[in-house]
Amino acid sequence: MAEIGHGGKEIVERILSPGEAAEKIKGLTQVPIRAQIANEVIGLAYGFFCPLEGFMGKADVDSVCKNMRLANGAVWSIPILFDLSEAEISDYGIKEGDSIVLTYQGNPMALFEVEEIFEYDKKEMCQATFGTTEERHPGCARTYEYKDKFLGGKITLLTEPKINPPFDPYFLPPLKMRKAIKEKGWERTVVHQTRNVPHTGHEWLMKGAWLQTYGELPIEKPLVGVIVNAIIGAKRKGDYIDEAIILTHDELRKAGYFGDHNHLTSLTFWDMRYAGPKEAIFHAALRTNLGITHHMYGRDHAGVGDYYGTYEAHHLLASVKDDLKITPVYSMNWLYCPHCGEVTSEGLCNHRDEWQKFSGTLIRSIVMDGVKPPRLIFRPEVFDLVMECAEKYGFGSPFVTDEYLEKRTPVFTIPPLSA
Amino acid sequence: MAEEKYPINIWINEERYQKLQEAGLADMCEEMLAGLKVLRVYANEEQKDKILKVFPTAKFDASTTKSIELLPREVKDKIFDKIVEKRSVDILDEFLADY
Repeated sequence: MAEIGHGGKEIVERILSPGEAAEKIKGLTQVPIRAQIANEVIGLAYGFFCPLEGFMGKADVDSVCKNMRLANGAVWSIPILFDLSEAEISDYGIKEGDSIVLTYQGNPMALFEVEEIFEYDKKEMCQATFGTTEERHPGCARTYEYKDKFLGGKITLLTEPKINPPFDPYFLPPLKMRKAIKEKGWERTVVHQTRNVPHTGHEWLMKGAWLQTYGELPIEKPLVGVIVNAIIGAKRKGDYIDEAIILTHDELRKAGYFGDHNHLTSLTFWDMRYAGPKEAIFHAALRTNLGITHHMYGRDHAGVGDYYGTYEAHHLLASVKDDLKITPVYSMNWLYCPHCGEVTSEGLCNHRDEWQKFSGTLIRSIVMDGVKPPRLIFRPEVFDLVMECAEKYGFGSPFVTDEYLEKRTPVFTIPPLSA
Repeated sequence: MAEEKYPINIWINEERYQKLQEAGLADMCEEMLAGLKVLRVYANEEQKDKILKVFPTAKFDASTTKSIELLPREVKDKIFDKIVEKRSVDILDEFLADY
């Protein structure tokens, strides 16, 4: 049976067999790509970005910027772009209608059928996507760094990326994820978007969302799963290292705070744009493609600084709800109440003067100060694993350092093409 | 209207607690989050802006805790030492004068 993704299109993996790939690339120009583009090549080829089959052409970019839809009418909020400078296009001799080979880490990664070469006003793109043109917005900064020409066209993987340990079990592209969900017997799934090591506020967000999602379903057997989908992409100094993020989420299952019957950890390669409401729409499309039925959205989802209103993402989601095949689950914050002596929801507890709010940032500060947080706030198994990851993967630190950025094992590698 | 104050949380690890005990200042600590000991140093708007400028890794958690977080541990150690020296948490002006 066909697996239908976002926009009503069948999800098809665009991956060549090894023999076919070697034959196809003979004589083609090779163009090296950076990490962000390699992440997006994976997104396009495996169907994470369905209905997109490649980097956007001008009609799609224009329609996304003006109408938050692709040219075919499907809701889409963030341009997916391949950029080159005019000089590079000239030096490589790339013309519309050519096929080129994208290389990463020195090896052929994907076939790119260049259908179109175009320009687009970056300020206009920023205003449409981020609601601002300010350079201090990280999404705008990334957009302004794009070179001046964009190439649109279909992408096909020449070889599957090798996902390196400890990430390998967590790479579940759409078709594989949909199979895993069926095998679990889950009728509904709710996704937790994360770039953080979980504290108990996160844990209870997931547990609360699981309860919300369960709704009227019968309870004789487990029918709802929480799917953690960690975003793996560009890192900033001071962030938790990727290994700690993915392994600690899975640790919540292994240590029994969840179980196999209701929890699954996975990852998606994507460089966050911090587009707030527009990123929320993008996440809805992405997780629809993963076969997930419900999506958690907290306050200021995927926002940065004070660019977006607390509930702006919720309102934008509501405006296109009939076009989305995923149900938003809105989550209130969880906090510690000393009166209750427990972590509780701000929607439930009324000891407002006593509330002690905590965030991932606050927990990072506690850990940086060399203090082990109490188990009600941060599970001891999670803390111990963070410290283990610091030694094993982080060169002594659970947080991203220059040394980590320079020496870490890449999350994935592109193996040489076998003939 | 009262001026907004933004806390810097100095979380008390064993080493810091020992120093506080030795100085007879252990009762300066507040207790937060189910048993964590903390000293809270409050910055005004101007001090907050200066801290964020001087220590670029620091972050103001605007959405949840309204506190200044992610100061490097050695910076917090200096703030802590100043508190012990002055026997007060009202030390930020003097601390920031060095920067």
